[in-house]
Amino acid sequence: MSLKYWQKRIGASVLGLGLLSSGQSLHASDAQPVRMTIERVAHLFSSKSSIATVKMQITNEDGQRNLSMKIWSSGDKIIVRITGPQDEAGIAILKEGNDIQYYLPKSNRTVTVPTSMAMNSWMGSDFTIDDLVKETFLARDYSVITSFVGQRGGIAVYEYTLTPKPDAAVVWGKVVLQIRQADSVPTWQGFYDEDGKLVRELTFSDYKTMGGRLIPTRLVMQPADKVGTRTTIEYEDIAFDVPITAATFSLPNQK
Amino acid sequence: MGGRLVQLAWRNLWRNRRRTFITMTAIAFGYAMLLFVACLMAGLRWQMIENGTCLVMSQIQVQAPLYYPSRLIQKTLGGGQGTDVNALLSVITADRRVYAAAPRAYGYGLLSAGHRSAGVELMGIVPERERKITILNSEIIRGDYLTARIPKGVVLGDKLASTIGMELGSEIVLLTQAADGSMGNDVYTVVGIFHTGLDAVDRGLVLMSLPALQELLQLAPTRIHEVGIKLNDITAATAVAAALERQLHKIVPARARAWPELAPELASYVQFNHAITFVLFFIFFLMAVIGVMNTMLMAVFERTRELGMLMALGMRPIQVVMLIIAEAVGLAVASLVVGGAIGVPLLWYLQAHGLDLGGASGEVISLAGVVVGHLWYGRQDFPAYGEAAVGLATTALVSALYPAWRAAHFKPTEAIRKV
Repeated sequence: MSLKYWQKRIGASVLGLGLLSSGQSLHASDAQPVRMTIERVAHLFSSKSSIATVKMQITNEDGQRNLSMKIWSSGDKIIVRITGPQDEAGIAILKEGNDIQYYLPKSNRTVTVPTSMAMNSWMGSDFTIDDLVKETFLARDYSVITSFVGQRGGIAVYEYTLTPKPDAAVVWGKVVLQIRQADSVPTWQGFYDEDGKLVRELTFSDYKTMGGRLIPTRLVMQPADKVGTRTTIEYEDIAFDVPITAATFSLPNQK
Repeated sequence: MGGRLVQLAWRNLWRNRRRTFITMTAIAFGYAMLLFVACLMAGLRWQMIENGTCLVMSQIQVQAPLYYPSRLIQKTLGGGQGTDVNALLSVITADRRVYAAAPRAYGYGLLSAGHRSAGVELMGIVPERERKITILNSEIIRGDYLTARIPKGVVLGDKLASTIGMELGSEIVLLTQAADGSMGNDVYTVVGIFHTGLDAVDRGLVLMSLPALQELLQLAPTRIHEVGIKLNDITAATAVAAALERQLHKIVPARARAWPELAPELASYVQFNHAITFVLFFIFFLMAVIGVMNTMLMAVFERTRELGMLMALGMRPIQVVMLIIAEAVGLAVASLVVGGAIGVPLLWYLQAHGLDLGGASGEVISLAGVVVGHLWYGRQDFPAYGEAAVGLATTALVSALYPAWRAAHFKPTEAIRKV
C-alpha cells in the first residue's frame, strides 16, 4: 500500500490517540513482523469515514462528570458534537486540516482555537484536544522498534517502543504501545516525557465487534501523577465507511 | 577638665582657619553627597517596590493555603464552600496598618474576536475596592475602567487589543474551563484599554467584574481566590502578612504573602540597592579617613613645641590623646552640621521634584521588569542619614588615633626645642 493511502486513512481516524497512524511506520521500519502487525493495528479504527456515539466519564477530586457526544469523520475532517449534559449540549468541535474551531451555542459564536492550545485538556478531561481530533503522525515523527514479545498478564503481546526522530516537534519523549498477538488489538499505551518518566497511560478493554470490526470499546486515560483522576471513554456505537454529507461538517457561522 | 579640653580643642581648630576650613569643606560636601545618594537610593527602592506592586500584584496577597503555586480555580479561600467575603475584608481592614483591601478571582481562558484568539489570564475585581490598592485604573488610554453600568464589560491591554484586532466596543468571546469542569463561555464587550509598559500585562491580562468572572467560572459569590492588600507603610509588609495570617485563621485557613515573597526579584533588587549604598558609604569613609588624618597629623607636627610645653607643664599623655581626638571629632561634627545644611534643601528638592531621567524624550525607564518612570524621586532615609553621620564621626575619631598616639609619645624636653 502506498504512503498516500495511509495518510488518507490516518486522517480519518476518530479518537486516533496516535496509535492509528502507526500504520505509516512500516515505511520507516524494515522489520517485517513490526510492519505487519502495526499495519493491522492501523486498520482497526481507520476508514474513509465513520460515525461514533461515545460516552465520556471524567473523574477527579471534585467528583465525576459525564459527557455524551457523537463524532463524525470523513477524510481529514472531524466533528464532535456534545449531546449531554443539557447545559453543554450543542457545543461542537470541528477539525478541518490544521484548524480547530469550537461552536459555543450559549454565546452563539464560533471560536478558533490556536494550534498551540491543542495539547490543553479537552473539556476538563485527561485527553487533550489533540488526542481527540488531531491526527498525530506517530510514523512521521517517531521511529518504531519491537521492545517486547511475550506474555503480559496471561496474554501474548507485542510491545512497540516509539521514540521521536531527532528533528520532530513532538511532546512525548517516548510512546510505548502494547497489542495482543492474537488479534492485534491494542491493550495498553504509555506516554513518557523526555526523562523517560511515565506521564499518562491509556488502557484498552471491553473488546466488542462493532461496525464489523473487533475494537476495544472502553478506553481509560490515567495521568501518572494524579491518583483518583481519570477519564473513561466508552463507545456505544460505531459505523465505518458510511456516507456522510459535507453539511455535517459545518458549524453555524455567526462570527 | 573634660570641658576645658573640649574648649582647648575647639580653639585649636580655629587657629589655622584655612586648613580647618578646607578639610571641613571636603567632609561637609562629602556628607551632603552621602545624603544625596542615600536619598536617591531609597527613592529608587521605594519606587521599585511601589511600582512593582501597584499595577496588579498589590503588596500582600491572601489566598487559600494550597492555591499557590498551582493556582487551580477550585482552590478558593474556604474551599468549595467559599467564605464570607465581607467578614474577611473587615478583619483585614481592622488592622490599622492596612490602607485598603480588595477581593479577586482568577481564571485562564481563550479570548476570541473575529477569527483571532489568544490565551489570556482573567482577573475578576471589585473596581471601587481595586482602585484603592492598584493603579491599573489610571493606566487606561482609551475608554473607561470597569463600571457597574456594563456588567459584561472587560478591560484589557493595548498589545492584546492590537494583536487580536479589538477596539472599544468590540464584542469578544471568552472560553474557559469552569470550576465544575464544564466549558464556560460568554460574550463580553471591551470597555477600556490600558497601557502599562509591561509586556506580560499589556498582552495577557483581561479584567472584568468579580461577579462576571464568578459566573463564567461557575463559582458561587462566596468563592474568591485572593484578597489584595495595600499598606500605609510598604516596609511593614512582611510583619503585617504574618499578623494577618494569624488573625484570619479564625475565619478561614489562609496564607498571606507579602511582596518580598510575591516578587523575589524585587526583594533581591532591594538588597542589591542596599549593598551599593553601603559600598558608596564605605568608599567615602575611606577618603574621609585620609583627609582627617592628614589634617590632624599636620596639626600635631606643627604644634610639636606647643604640645611639648603642655606636657612639660604637667599634661599627661592620655590628655594629649584626648585633645587631639576632641579636635578631630569637633572638626567632623562641625562638618556634619555644614554638610547637613547643604544637603537638606537638596533632599527636599529630590523628594518633591525628582531627577528627570528621560529628559525631553519623556522615555520611561524600567528596571528588573518594573517601570520606574521618567522621574527619579528621592525619598528620605533617616536611618541612612544617621548611619552616615555616625560613620563620619567614627571615621574622624579613628583617623585621629594615629596622630594622637604620635603626640602622646613626644618627649617634652626634645619637643620644646623644636621650632
